[in-house]
Amino acid sequence: MKAQRSLSEIKKKEEVAAYIFLSPYLISTLVFTLGMILFALYISLHNWNMFQRPEFVGLKNYIKAFRSEDFRRGFYNIFWYTLIVVFFQTFIAVFMAVILFKPIPGKRLFRTLFYAPSVTSSVVISMIFWWLYLKTGFINLAFDKIAGLFGGVWQNVEWLNNPTGLFQLIAKSFGGNISYDKWYFNGPSITWMAIMAQAIYTTSPTFMIMFLAGLVNIPVSLYESASIDGASPWNQFWKITFPMLRPVTMMVVVLGTMGCIQMFDYVKILTAGGPLGTTLVPVYQIYSETLGISGPIRAGYGAAMAFILAVVIFVLTYIQRKFIEEKTEQY
Amino acid sequence: MKKALLLMMAFMLVFTVTTVFAGGQKEKAPTTAPAQAKKAMAGAEPTSFTKLEVEKGATIVFSGWGDQTEQKIYRDSIVRFNKIYPDVTVDYQPIPADFQTKLKAMMAGGTAPDVFYVDDQLMTAFGSTGQLLPLDDYMGKAKVSRKDFITALLTIFTYKGKTYGLPKDWGTLGLVYLPEAFKEAGIAEPNDNWTWDDIAKAAKAISEKTKYKGFCQNADWARFAPWVFELGGTYTNADYTKAALNTEPVKKAASYILKMKKDGFLVTSADVGAGWAGEAIGKKLVAMTYEGGWMVNYMRNQFPDVNWKAVQVAKASNGKRADVIFTNAIGVNAHTKYPKAAAAFTIFVTSRENQAEITKTGFAYSTHPDQINLIKDPNDKEIAAGGLVGKVAYWGPNTGKINDQVSKALERIYLGTMSVDESFAQADKKVNAILAGE
Repeated sequence: MKAQRSLSEIKKKEEVAAYIFLSPYLISTLVFTLGMILFALYISLHNWNMFQRPEFVGLKNYIKAFRSEDFRRGFYNIFWYTLIVVFFQTFIAVFMAVILFKPIPGKRLFRTLFYAPSVTSSVVISMIFWWLYLKTGFINLAFDKIAGLFGGVWQNVEWLNNPTGLFQLIAKSFGGNISYDKWYFNGPSITWMAIMAQAIYTTSPTFMIMFLAGLVNIPVSLYESASIDGASPWNQFWKITFPMLRPVTMMVVVLGTMGCIQMFDYVKILTAGGPLGTTLVPVYQIYSETLGISGPIRAGYGAAMAFILAVVIFVLTYIQRKFIEEKTEQY
Repeated sequence: MKKALLLMMAFMLVFTVTTVFAGGQKEKAPTTAPAQAKKAMAGAEPTSFTKLEVEKGATIVFSGWGDQTEQKIYRDSIVRFNKIYPDVTVDYQPIPADFQTKLKAMMAGGTAPDVFYVDDQLMTAFGSTGQLLPLDDYMGKAKVSRKDFITALLTIFTYKGKTYGLPKDWGTLGLVYLPEAFKEAGIAEPNDNWTWDDIAKAAKAISEKTKYKGFCQNADWARFAPWVFELGGTYTNADYTKAALNTEPVKKAASYILKMKKDGFLVTSADVGAGWAGEAIGKKLVAMTYEGGWMVNYMRNQFPDVNWKAVQVAKASNGKRADVIFTNAIGVNAHTKYPKAAAAFTIFVTSRENQAEITKTGFAYSTHPDQINLIKDPNDKEIAAGGLVGKVAYWGPNTGKINDQVSKALERIYLGTMSVDESFAQADKKVNAILAGE
């Protein structure tokens, strides 16, 4: 009996100690995460300029957000951005990881070089790309040289100021025309695709590292048995590597999706949502409204937009988890 | 062992709590004028205003944006201020980047400086919400009048008849050009009697005969403003309640610019591979553009070997000249512990004495109309002349959004996605929606 009591006392003491150890993180999480979320929810139901008493408006801010053409356009833009960037960054990351996993000379050097864009500040990367994307920049020059090799002439493109959509370009090549007013039919603009290319370039190496870590965990015995059974390298990739990487792929796709939906920095630095709203994204709108960048501060409206965005991210992540986890084989 | 563990846990807890709750405390930087220097300065008397009684031992924090040049100008201003007010300590804390965003966050957190720069964005955020101190009483005591300043400059900083900021400097636009481009094309250089047609003709000749592009103008509300103002146009009505973009003056000005662009004599800075029109002049890519007094220092520092000149913006064919004025003020935090000292500093920095010293550096123009003749640089003088016929592009609390719609309308016509009529009709509709609070 005595022994039992002392055992439960020890357990209790351990629990208290555990909470005390956790307290630094718990306090900051309660204050800066949970507290802030609840506060944001509160102000999303109010009109608030940060300095005066919030005025209760119910769901008006949410309704205003849904009615806002700019906000809908932001979601349209971010849909294309997420779709294209997540696909290409995942594909390129797997490709680079598989190549670098092979015993090739200078492997470590290549890993470092490939990873460099991921650790470079987004401001610095944006400035480099801004320079490359100039109408008189290196990318136009490169296309001009390539066109010259085939006897053609390259018309310089203003990469960061061209609102022409992908579907508009396609329609044009077939002699058709889609009006700029019908932005929902235009597809991602040239400027938006230029920013996507920049994002893919900078984020793929991070995910490459994750895939490399995933590759290390695949038992060599699986490849050995497959080789004995006569499986080709291509078959080995599709039947062993790819399925075994599914948990990493799931993580990469989820992280990539969340990162893409929250895209902000490149837009802030390079385009401010232009040209003609083709690079407008929800987070940039939330930032502008909350801090009153070009008008009165509307923190309540900004918070309402942020909650709508959070719900979208939650739903998408849930769907992805369901979709990928169900198909993931456990070993 | 147990004691050590408990001690460690207690330390961690204290550390977390202090970092979490005391993170917002500001560090006090040393004052700009050492005590000895202040003693030596004591006793100076102002001439253009009356010295105010201030709180004893006041220490005020002053913040603004700006590069090293601007920071030096304000450090020098503080030294001059301390000659009159030796007992006030001014702690200068410049915020070179994202000034407005930081100021709003600081104000919301109760850590904003006592005195700071105010522009239209900050006036919108702070003016109507009681975060700025009305200066009229202090101005009265110091015998400083609103009439001492260029009238147009106070437009932004006045709310419900009260003054919430005193203009610290201002700028306007002029026709900036490269003489060598005109020489190469064999045509006469611009002068103050030039009209839009003269610009168009010269731009055509230069584009056709030389390596330079004629005229550089981006899809920008500010560079578009003089064209509109000269035709008697505006962006909203006088009380900022209705858009005025779907109007003849706006559309006529836009059509004129668009024709030049379509004819190939007007380019954007991106067309020629420059970040902005001033850089296009510095790199000798274009012959003409509308830019402001900032060109003087920019060209001196970045392109010292390039010979450039400036005249006033061209007149419209109706013979009228108008210009756009940009201005910023200095305002006082309504929650300052030392309102008298803060107001005294604001009044001093924007006073004739101090503005005369700043004007000498070539950094900015004085906000006092009788000091325009203090500008020495001939190009600066030409550009500043626009101030006499200038108007501040301020349209109430939604100024930023309205100006943004004008830039977007220009962007649409530049890109050829809409006609002038369609584009400005759309902008007009959007501005009305903004003004209606949608």
